[in-house]
Amino acid sequence: MNAPAPLLDVDRLSVGYGERLAVRDVSLRVGSGEFVALTGPNGAGKTSLLRAVLGLVAPRAGEIRVMGDPLPELDIRARARRMAWLPQEERPQDNVRVLDYVLFGRFAHIPPFYSENAEDYARAREALMTVGLWDRRESGIWEISGGERQRVLLARALAQDAPILLLDEPTAHLDIASQLELIGRLVSLCRQQGRAVVAALHDLNLAARYADRVVVLSRGRLVHDGRPAEVLSGALLREVWEVDAELRRDPRSGLPYLIPVLPRHGLASTPGERRPGPLHVVGGGGAAAELLRALAGEGFRLSAGVLALFDTDSETAQELRVPCALEVPFAAIGAEARAENRRLLEAATAIVVAPFAVGPSNVTNLEDLLPYARTRPTFLVGADSFAARDFCQGRAVALEKELLALGALRVRDSAGLLQRLPAALGAAVPAPKAGP
Amino acid sequence: MPATGTASVKSGSATPRNRWPRTPVGRTLLFAAGLFALTLVSALLGDVSIPASIVLGTIAHHLTGGAFPADPCAGTSVSRTECGVYQTIVWANYIPQVLLGVLVGAALGISGAALQGTFRNPLADPYLLGLSSGAAFGAALLFVFRIGLQEAQLTLPLFAFAGSLLSGGVVLLAARSPRSSVTTLLLTGVAMSSFFSALLILTLLYNPNGNLQVSFWLLGGLEGATWTQVGIVFAGAVIPGAILALYGRSLNLLQLGSDVAQSLGVDARRTRVRIMLLASIATASAVAFAGVIGFVGLVAPHVVRRVAGFDYRVVLTGAAIVGATFVLGARDLALVFFPGIEVPVGVPMAFAGALFFLYLLYRRPAGPGEGGGW
Repeated sequence: MNAPAPLLDVDRLSVGYGERLAVRDVSLRVGSGEFVALTGPNGAGKTSLLRAVLGLVAPRAGEIRVMGDPLPELDIRARARRMAWLPQEERPQDNVRVLDYVLFGRFAHIPPFYSENAEDYARAREALMTVGLWDRRESGIWEISGGERQRVLLARALAQDAPILLLDEPTAHLDIASQLELIGRLVSLCRQQGRAVVAALHDLNLAARYADRVVVLSRGRLVHDGRPAEVLSGALLREVWEVDAELRRDPRSGLPYLIPVLPRHGLASTPGERRPGPLHVVGGGGAAAELLRALAGEGFRLSAGVLALFDTDSETAQELRVPCALEVPFAAIGAEARAENRRLLEAATAIVVAPFAVGPSNVTNLEDLLPYARTRPTFLVGADSFAARDFCQGRAVALEKELLALGALRVRDSAGLLQRLPAALGAAVPAPKAGP
Repeated sequence: MPATGTASVKSGSATPRNRWPRTPVGRTLLFAAGLFALTLVSALLGDVSIPASIVLGTIAHHLTGGAFPADPCAGTSVSRTECGVYQTIVWANYIPQVLLGVLVGAALGISGAALQGTFRNPLADPYLLGLSSGAAFGAALLFVFRIGLQEAQLTLPLFAFAGSLLSGGVVLLAARSPRSSVTTLLLTGVAMSSFFSALLILTLLYNPNGNLQVSFWLLGGLEGATWTQVGIVFAGAVIPGAILALYGRSLNLLQLGSDVAQSLGVDARRTRVRIMLLASIATASAVAFAGVIGFVGLVAPHVVRRVAGFDYRVVLTGAAIVGATFVLGARDLALVFFPGIEVPVGVPMAFAGALFFLYLLYRRPAGPGEGGGW
């Protein structure tokens, strides 16, 4: 499946720092026009592998060939003409003009002690056009947004005019729209210019959607290398990430994506359990994260919904192993997720509404809990009303009024909630033993 | 689904301060013009007060090969013998002093800029890294062997170079250790500086020949300047200085961190070693004939950065010019405010430098690039 002469050939590479081996015996060949996603949990060795390929750390064992030549035989300028790097984190020390920042990428093409020539400027211009920032060329690097800065770094790597692009979490610090845009551009670069892209990607779904191949590292070892459809499986997620996941297919593209499924037992099974529950927490966008932690810390059994996959709330819920109803990000909550949410509400002994922002896509979260609020103690957390967080023409405020009419209590914060909870739960029907 | 959370990540909204200079060459030329003017003014000043017409006449006379003015003394109110003496003082003493000041300041300024760039630290300079003290000790050691200054004109910078290289070598060795941070390097430099200062003071106290001038070695001085020295320093400082000036683009990239710089094609380690070597040569040449003048290498690059931005292609040359201006200015201040007392150049320099140092410590430009600390 590889092109006859791979651009990058990593053979049984091991990289270590001190006692610890960060990369163990990894072999990888990347051909022209290939987009390889390098993925794995934190500390799996993605960055170490990229740094070794760049020659920034010396390997313990193994060999790296870049366009046929062993890496140690290439001087640093020659390496820079063959491989460009987008580092995970780069903090510009000075407010350098965007165009000059991109011209930095031309260094290896300019003979020592010469200046940039017309071609260098042409390349920089082309690169800035590709990332859509030519208009910002006169701005200082400090004056543009984080997403734009990431694109400037990409432009610099493109101006380097290297056949191999090594990208370390290129989508970190980007919102979802910019992530998709950036990855889309990279893919078209691969296709049109025959460059090879190796990108360390945290987000499996991005990897599955765009990459030709997904390479999975786990504890420094390469555990999977194949097409996204082969590699992304529930078994793999269990094995490598230690998370249960459900594989779904995007109805439009037919591509696979993963939704982590949280353990059915939540905190209930932890030995410290003594509180009744579960409490169902409604939130989104990070509004519920602190509440979830506070309640879990007090030993309450919890459930949550409907949360967007990958947002702070859902990640907190996953971390705390709180069962929750999930929906893919930036989509209206679907029937499936709503049904799951209602099921969790049905099982709950009390309802906690986090101070989340309500828009047309998630107003169903408030609508759906109304019938359950009649029979369960309900708490509205937050010093203010929904008025400031209502992005659906007063619908949220109206629902809030209904909730208050049904006897919902307003508490300032998690501390206030914890104070009021015992009394409220004492009054409630005893917790059903069958958890969700 | 949540309607929150996508507020744009606007960073670096602090007012842009250090803009990439639009006309770096223009600003460098402005600095150069200032230096030229100061050079002329400085030539008029000295421990003997000499009429300006004679000073300028003498300079013009020598520069034009005696063609114009044929006789600098014509039309002046002083006597011909007095004028002759004045002419000799101007040409044999004042002009070499001024030129030595220019060369020494330029050498220290450009070394400071290059060192600050390689170490990505605003405090790196030949003085703080121990290059100056090492050079001074090396040079002073020569006198212990009872060699007079006149016969040692060429050996002196070599000894100085050996001394600065020793100090710089230790700092570079510290840099090779994978655990070393920039702070460790700087502190190694500070340690070397103290160590060699102590050795220098011992040498000065021992002083078997009685020909070592304490204030000269510790605080610098231009009084003894001769044309030969100017020639030696010219070769020993201008050549490495000119090579240093060519490292602008590499230094610009090194500001992104050595890993990023290396991925873009800069050999960070090699660049660091070479810059250290060149800075050692330049500093040693300066120290051999002008003693230890602190703060020039520290302050000059900062001044350039404030005025002309942070492009090292400009900063290096600019720091040479500003360094020269500072040393001349310090000499002139000493002559104007303390006439009759031979105040070493390093004293006004240290006054200004110490104040500037405090200013740097307590006022930092805002920006997302904190941590590196400009």
